[in-house]
Amino acid sequence: MSDETNKTVTAGYKRDWRIGWIVFAGLMVLTLIEFAVANLSNPSAVLLIIIGLIKAALIVYFFMHVYRLWREEKHG
Amino acid sequence: MSVGTVEDHAEHHGVELSPEQQVKANRFGLWLFFISEIFLFTALLVARFFLWGNTRPELNQVVGLIATSVLLISSFFVYRGETAIEHGDKKRFMSNFLWAALFGTLFFIGVVVLEWNIFGLSGEIAGIEIFGTLKPTDGVFGGVFFAMTGIHALHVLSGILLLLAAWYNGRKNNYSATDNWGVEGTALYWHYVDVVWVFFYPALYLIGTAV
Repeated sequence: MSDETNKTVTAGYKRDWRIGWIVFAGLMVLTLIEFAVANLSNPSAVLLIIIGLIKAALIVYFFMHVYRLWREEKHG
Repeated sequence: MSVGTVEDHAEHHGVELSPEQQVKANRFGLWLFFISEIFLFTALLVARFFLWGNTRPELNQVVGLIATSVLLISSFFVYRGETAIEHGDKKRFMSNFLWAALFGTLFFIGVVVLEWNIFGLSGEIAGIEIFGTLKPTDGVFGGVFFAMTGIHALHVLSGILLLLAAWYNGRKNNYSATDNWGVEGTALYWHYVDVVWVFFYPALYLIGTAV
C-alpha cells in the first residue's frame, strides 16, 4: 500500500471513528431528554414518539448504513 | 436421474454472482428479514397502546434508563468493531465485539434478574425498589410487558451468540478489510435489536400515567 493510500485509509478510519462518537453522544442525550420529558407533570406522548423516531433514524442511517442498499459495492 | 451441484446449476443458467453482488444480495435479504420482523414488533406495540392506553404499570424508571443506556453502549461498540474490520484493524474489531457482547449480556441479565425478577429478590437503593414486582399473570400489564420484553430478550440472546460467533471467526482470521460480510450482518442485526428497543423503551417505561 502506498503512503498516500495509507494516509487516506487512516483519515477515513478517524472520520468513521469520530462519527461513531458523535452519534453515540447524540443517542445518549436524546435518551436523557426522553427520560426528563417523561418525568414532567404532563408528559407529551407525541414528543416521546418523535424523539424515538429521531433516535431510530440515527441508528438506521449511521450505524446500519442503510444507504449501502443503493450504493455500488466496493468490498467483496 | 443425475443431480448437478449448485455450481453446475449456476453455470448452466448463468446466474453466478460476483462477491460484490453476493454481498448486495445478502444485505438486501437481511433487510427484507428486518421488514418482516417489523410486523411482529408493531403487533406488540399495537397491543400495548390498545390494552394499556394512556396508562402503564409502575416500573423502575432508573432501571429502564440504565438498561437503555447499556444497549446503546453495546451498539456503539459494535459500530466501532465493524468500522475497525472495514479498515483492516482486526485487533480493535475483536476487542470491540467482545465489549459489545459483554454489554449485551448485562442488558439481558438486567431484564431477567431485575425486571422479571426470576429469583424473587427484593432490595432497595436510595429507597427505591430495584427488583420488579410485575408477574406475567398480572392482567394486561403483566401479559403485554412480558410478551414485549420476552420477544426482545430472545433477540438480544441470539444477537449475543452472533457477536460471539463473529468474534470467534475473527480469531480464526476469517475476516479482512474486503471480506467481512459476517461482521456486517451481525452488526446490522444487533443495531436492529437496538432500534426495536428505542420504541419499546418509551412504550413500556415512559408513555402514560403509572397506575
